[in-house]
Amino acid sequence: MTQRATTPMILALLVTALGFVTLTFSQEATSPPLIYGAYYAGTLFALYLWVRLLLPHSDVLLLPIVTLLTGLGLVMIYRLTFDIEGAENLATTQALWILIGSGAMFFIVLFFRNYHRLFDYKYLLALAAVALIASTFTPFGYEVNGARLWVAIGPVNFQPSEFARIALIIFFAGYLAEKRDVLAATSRSFLGVQIPALKYFGPVAFVWAASLGLLVFEKDLGSSLLFFAVPLLMLYAATGRIAYILLGSILFSLGSTVTYFLFGHVRVRVESWLDPWQDPDGTGFQILQSIFNIADGGLTGTGLGAGFSQTIPEVETDFIFSAIASEMGMLGATAVLLTFLVFVYRGIKIALLAEDDASKLLAFGLTAMFALQTLVIVGGATKAIPLTGITLPFVSYGGSSVVGNFILTGLLLVISEKAGRREVEEPVYEDSL
Amino acid sequence: MNAHLRRTFYLFVAGFVSLVGMLAYWQVYARESLANNPENGLQTQRSIEAPRGLILAGDGETVLAKSVEREFNGTTVYDRIYPEGAPFSNVVGYWSVKYGATGIEIAENSYLSAVAGEPATLDDLINQVTGGPQPGNNVVLTLDPELQRLAYEELASSVTGRGAVVAVNPRNGEILALASYPSFDPNNIDETFPELAEAPDAPLINRATQSLYPPGSTFKVITAGAALLAGISPSDTFFDDGSYELPGYTVRNFQLKDYGRVTFTEALVYSINVIFAKVAVEKVGAEALAQRAEAFGFGDPYEDFPLPVSTSNLANTPPSGWTSGTTAQTAFGQGQVSTNAFEMALVAAAIGNDGKLMEPRLVREVRSPDGIILDKPAPSVRGEALPEETARTLNEMMQKVVTEGLPTAEVPGVKVAGKTGTAEAPPGEPHSWWITFAPADDPEIALCVMVENGGRADEAALPIADRLMEAYLKGGVE
Repeated sequence: MTQRATTPMILALLVTALGFVTLTFSQEATSPPLIYGAYYAGTLFALYLWVRLLLPHSDVLLLPIVTLLTGLGLVMIYRLTFDIEGAENLATTQALWILIGSGAMFFIVLFFRNYHRLFDYKYLLALAAVALIASTFTPFGYEVNGARLWVAIGPVNFQPSEFARIALIIFFAGYLAEKRDVLAATSRSFLGVQIPALKYFGPVAFVWAASLGLLVFEKDLGSSLLFFAVPLLMLYAATGRIAYILLGSILFSLGSTVTYFLFGHVRVRVESWLDPWQDPDGTGFQILQSIFNIADGGLTGTGLGAGFSQTIPEVETDFIFSAIASEMGMLGATAVLLTFLVFVYRGIKIALLAEDDASKLLAFGLTAMFALQTLVIVGGATKAIPLTGITLPFVSYGGSSVVGNFILTGLLLVISEKAGRREVEEPVYEDSL
Repeated sequence: MNAHLRRTFYLFVAGFVSLVGMLAYWQVYARESLANNPENGLQTQRSIEAPRGLILAGDGETVLAKSVEREFNGTTVYDRIYPEGAPFSNVVGYWSVKYGATGIEIAENSYLSAVAGEPATLDDLINQVTGGPQPGNNVVLTLDPELQRLAYEELASSVTGRGAVVAVNPRNGEILALASYPSFDPNNIDETFPELAEAPDAPLINRATQSLYPPGSTFKVITAGAALLAGISPSDTFFDDGSYELPGYTVRNFQLKDYGRVTFTEALVYSINVIFAKVAVEKVGAEALAQRAEAFGFGDPYEDFPLPVSTSNLANTPPSGWTSGTTAQTAFGQGQVSTNAFEMALVAAAIGNDGKLMEPRLVREVRSPDGIILDKPAPSVRGEALPEETARTLNEMMQKVVTEGLPTAEVPGVKVAGKTGTAEAPPGEPHSWWITFAPADDPEIALCVMVENGGRADEAALPIADRLMEAYLKGGVE
């Protein structure tokens, strides 16, 4: 793992540059200030060199992928907003968020190379995560489109759940690694499903239920889904018991049924997924516009800037994938999906190579979060599953999401450094994927 | 633990693969139907930015729709212009950013629109990749422009000024004219639409395909076909005393006439309800009658036809549940029978074409802007309405309708076959129908003329058809 990936880095930056050149020349878009481009390319390349220097054994492809995805995001955000009054500066704001995210990663690489210290504070982190999620109920929190996901402290607005999820994954990884044996070896059974002793399972269940409950009441469907599924997958990874998955599926069906009848917004989402044609100008409008635009792209796409994806409400956040599919076609959109899959593949590989259970679970949890988030939002935009408003990692516009994902990648990098170093010292062949 | 990690990874891979599957579904499989969906506003938006293809009449020269350039706020936009206006608008349709699209404009949109279809030629692909302007493809219709114009004018000067004409080439199914009156000018649809939508005579409705009317005695050709198949010969004699009593319903003749002893051919010539009802109830039966109507296209939604067609229908219940009264009324096209000029023109065409019903076609070919043929549907047989021998017999009976009963329908030097229909439509005047084809031995054209509430068949519909027929056969148009 000591090789370099300078060529992929340069290619990723070139793709971004090409995107902006196309927009400037074929769409006669006024070019954004070049200085932002220089900042962006400079920062990410410097970050790449910094990571190679400090973590020479770390995974080499993660940063080029992050560069490609953030670059693609910048191109798409710029394309979708440069001629929209009041939103002309969205792409430069996003570039700023990427700078902040890069800064966060810089510090993680610098200070958390010994990330095992994090597991010592797992209960504190769990508490912090729940507190973060609950903070939207304080006077600092406010609602956007009926969902109470935002907190404003002074001039800074952010979505606490984007950061809480990482803290929670660290907690689950630390706790499950410690208790995986007792959680797997159970004697009692309930309705044919073996359940572990409450004193071991209790903390997991409590944190899980608290975060989930809060999110459901904040009407954050997307995050609720992720916060439900990721710990469940981690529990399975730790214990290997399919029973947890089955139990989880039953809980999920129960929970979704209850929320379906309890909350009007859930009903609207499900109904507009099942039959958007019922109200094509109302509840079904967004998903139909998404489908029309995706279909409009065909195999090769309309060409960058030549589509009509601005007709989709929230296109630069939740529906940016529809815009990509529309203008780059099935070929381009599939390439983007493959890029995400490579990220997931590298993440799982890091988990496989990691030495101890806690590291494995942490790498796995972070990767699962990343993978599920991609699957859920792309699935929603393509009408494979009901729509839940979450971002496409690194690509969608959104500060908290970008910074959160940079932190996630930073943690994967420090885990991979340790795994990579171990591999150099004592090669492990049977565990490669 | 690694085995569990690998398994979850495969789960994620499966997820990504299904997403690519979803993309393939929307972007390849369902692409065209979504592009042509009326709720989809992208195509109208695109038409402003890139020129749509031409819509041409069957002569390949008469332009029915084109996009013209205009400067707007420093950029080039395109307006859709319809040089021929109202006579063709029920076929060509309109293309409005405000009110969506109809007719050929929406049915053939994936060809007409600049990029709604996949790139068809290398030029298209290069244009698309480099983001250049991509003009749409040109659609050539089968309509004979002179016949269409003449049909429209004839309907305009008809008794009520409401009606439809459909002309079809019986040999290959090409629609030669499909006129509806009143119609509308598609050129300024954005301004006139609200008024047109409210107008009491419904100019936006295509009477030729979308409205349904009782066909009256024109339906007797189908009953006659079923009767011939049931073993009745044209020379068989029947006795008509002016009425035919059935439980709960008594059949009477038009204008309460009685004809005495007549042959089956004479029953068709004089359009004797009593005999057709008797034959249908006693010799043919409900099932066979319905089966024959279906063979002629009743109950068929013609989904492949580019214009929406209202499905012709015999009755609200399946034939097994008909009373003898229902069968009797169906036999002469009253009761619950409903159809339109499009279907009845196809009925005439099928009889003229020795019983073979050809697939009706409105699009002759599609060409790229530089003339490469992209689509050219070949004539195809849709089904057998009647066996060849039976069709010939019925053809001769229909010629007698003209030679023995309706000298006004004759075209000098040409054998004409036809059947009248005066369909009762209380509380209004009856609908006036005439279906015909000529030359009867080797027909070049089949026609159906219907004048809404036009009164007697031989007074409203027939003279129009006669003039159209003469113009088409003698005027040397195509």
